[in-house]
Parts: sequence; C-alpha cells; structure tokens
Amino acid sequence: MKIKILLSILAVTLGLAAGLYFFRPHTFHGTVIQSPEPSYDFTLTSANDDISLSDYRGKLVLIYFGYTFCPDICPATLANVGQSLKELGTKADDVQLIMISLDPERDTPEKLAEYVAHFHPSFIGVTGSQEDLAKIAALYGIFYEKTDGSDNTGYLINHTATLLVIDREGYLKLVFPFGVTVPEIVDDLKYMLRQ
Amino acid sequence: MNKFILNGIYGVLGLLMVSAFAFKIFQPIQVLPRMQLSPAFDLTDQSNERLTSEDLRGQFVLYTFTYTNCPAPCFNINETMQEVQSRLDEVQLDGINVSFVTISIDPERDTPEVLNDYAKGIGADTSKWRFATTTNKSLLKTIIGSGFETYYEDKGNGSFAFDPAFVLVDGWGIVRSEYRYSTEVSNADRILRHLGVVAEEARNSVGTGKLAYEAAHLFLCYAP
Repeated sequence: MKIKILLSILAVTLGLAAGLYFFRPHTFHGTVIQSPEPSYDFTLTSANDDISLSDYRGKLVLIYFGYTFCPDICPATLANVGQSLKELGTKADDVQLIMISLDPERDTPEKLAEYVAHFHPSFIGVTGSQEDLAKIAALYGIFYEKTDGSDNTGYLINHTATLLVIDREGYLKLVFPFGVTVPEIVDDLKYMLRQ
Repeated sequence: MNKFILNGIYGVLGLLMVSAFAFKIFQPIQVLPRMQLSPAFDLTDQSNERLTSEDLRGQFVLYTFTYTNCPAPCFNINETMQEVQSRLDEVQLDGINVSFVTISIDPERDTPEVLNDYAKGIGADTSKWRFATTTNKSLLKTIIGSGFETYYEDKGNGSFAFDPAFVLVDGWGIVRSEYRYSTEVSNADRILRHLGVVAEEARNSVGTGKLAYEAAHLFLCYAP
C-alpha cells in the first residue's frame, strides 16, 4: 500500500514537471511588445513597385533599417536573417524581410534589390524621400545620423541596429537587438508561425 | 492501469490550470506593459546641445510636453516633475539613471535661450531635467503626435491646445506607461511606484526569473 502511495506521488511529481515543461510559455529571445495598435503602415519604393507594410498582412514581416554601404552590422544582421529563413525551409514562405534604406542619396531601388538578393532571394529593399524615411524611422524608434567615413567608404550612417518583427495582423510583436543569433531568430519565428 | 494514468494526466492538467488561474488572480509578480517603441529623435536642448533618443538608452526617461508661454499653473506638469525628482530616493533603482525630458511644442518661440530662462525660472536641475525641441515642425509633430501619441494643436493666437501627458520609457526605448490628463496627470505617487516596478523587472528578469516575468506579461499582470 505504502509503495502504491509513493509511486502515485512520484508519478504526479514527474507528471507535473513534464507538464510544466511542455506547457511553459515560450520565452522569446527578442523583446515582446504588446502594442494595442497596428504598427505604422508605410509605403516605399522597391525595384519592382511601391510596397506597403499592409501588403504583407498574413505573413510575418521583419523590418531592418540599414544601407548598402554599411560596412559591418547590416551585412551581419541580414546574413543571419537569410540563414534563419533557409533553416525554416518552406515555413519561410510566410516570412518577408523588408530592408528600409536610410541612405536614399546612394541607395537606388535597383541597387537595394541587388544588395539584398545576396542574403536571401525573397528579401525586399525599399527607399523613399528623406522626409518619409525620417518619419518612418522615428516611428519605429530608429535613430540615424550621417557621419564622416574614409575615402573608400564615403560617408557612413550611424543607426539603431534593431531587427523588428511584425506579426501576421500587422502589430509590432518583437524587437531583436543587434547580435541576435540564427538559432534565436529561428526559435522565435517558429513559435510565431505556429500562432 | 489505463484509468490510473488518465486520472493522473487529468490531475496534472487540472493543477496546471489552477496554477495559471492562481498566477493571474494573485499576481505574485506585477509588470508594466511594453506598449510600443518610443520614437527616435534628434532635438536641441536648453544649452543648445543635441539631445537624441540614443543618448537616453539604458536609462528610464519621463517625458512631458509643454510650451513656455503656457499660462501658470499649466496643468501642474512642472510640479509633478519636481516632486518625482525630489522623491526618487524612495525607489530602489539599483544604479539605473532616471532622466527627465520636457519637449516644447512651440519651437518658434521656445529657442534654447528661452528654454534655458524657463528652466532657471522654475528652478529645474538641468543636470537631470532637460528642455528640448526641434525647429523641424513636421518631424516634431511626428515625434510627439504619432510617436508619443500626444495631441497638440497651435491655436494661432499664441496658445496651444495639448494633452499634458507624462510618458515613461524604459532603457530599451519602450514606452511602459502613459499618464493622461483624463486619468491622473499630477500623480507623482503612481509614477514613482511604476519606476519601482520597471526597475524591479530590470533587476530580477534574468535566468529563470525571466520566465516568471514573461508569464506576468502573458497573463497581463499589470501594476495599477
């Protein structure tokens, strides 16, 4: 009888531990935002056409602000996202990365298209007027400023290097800091794709 | 035996549901919602120095919006700002800095010199409370109107209609609380309590503690 009671206690304890493990809430690697409103719906120019954020409702949209002359952080982040999409396989069909240029003087839509294609064939690069870009960047919390570079690089642009994830309904859901790894991106995107 | 296992599974699921309800009802951990990203900006302050959103990363910031010609007492905004500053030692901040920023909605008249005189006139400690604006009116409207979601309008007779809101932003640049006129604008107690809540989360939301804090966000266990 005592053995039965002990076994029952052991079974419930193990069950609880397993239950807590399997039903634990997903811990995001990025910072979760609980915005009550959809994020700002911009319209910018890609090499093919004007695109709006709202065109991609139903997909997860990753937004990255950068520029094609960016020497380090932009290619590092875009390469990580490109690798993440490859690891997601067919699920990546429901994910769209949009790179918004902060350098409209040098980044033409065609140049952006050529640049982002190096990282993943589905990536889209967009640009617009200085005024529009300043407004969009401000509303997505992206600070940027032009700084001196070398003769080789030309001027540089310091900018906030976060990677933003918009959910299928158009709400800003997640903010990844610079340095987020491929497994972390894949883990969070997989969870969001299941929602 | 099958019945025994089935009952065990039901029991475990039941316990988990009870635990979830208990977490929601008793709220052992309270947080402030991560409402939205604070807008990025590049302003000029009362000392004619740049003040950017990047300068304020890593610290808590309490924002207010006003114009220096606003007739006194102008919604008691400054009194509340000063009360929060003078009582900051009531909050366990663990070294996290708190900055105070008042953004002028009247850049035409509120030049750095005027803002400096204004700050001196109300006895503001400008080492932690800065007054700033930008002459780019369109961008100012974007920052305050759309970014901080705070209404203001030039009435054309030297006065402005505006929402005397307070906005609390954390070190990640995320808006954590807003204090609107229609609810409770002059409530230093609530602002100080909220500063304590975000500081506590910054302090404890590491390792396994992070899971508990994320559960508090998931179950909307928001501090009143």
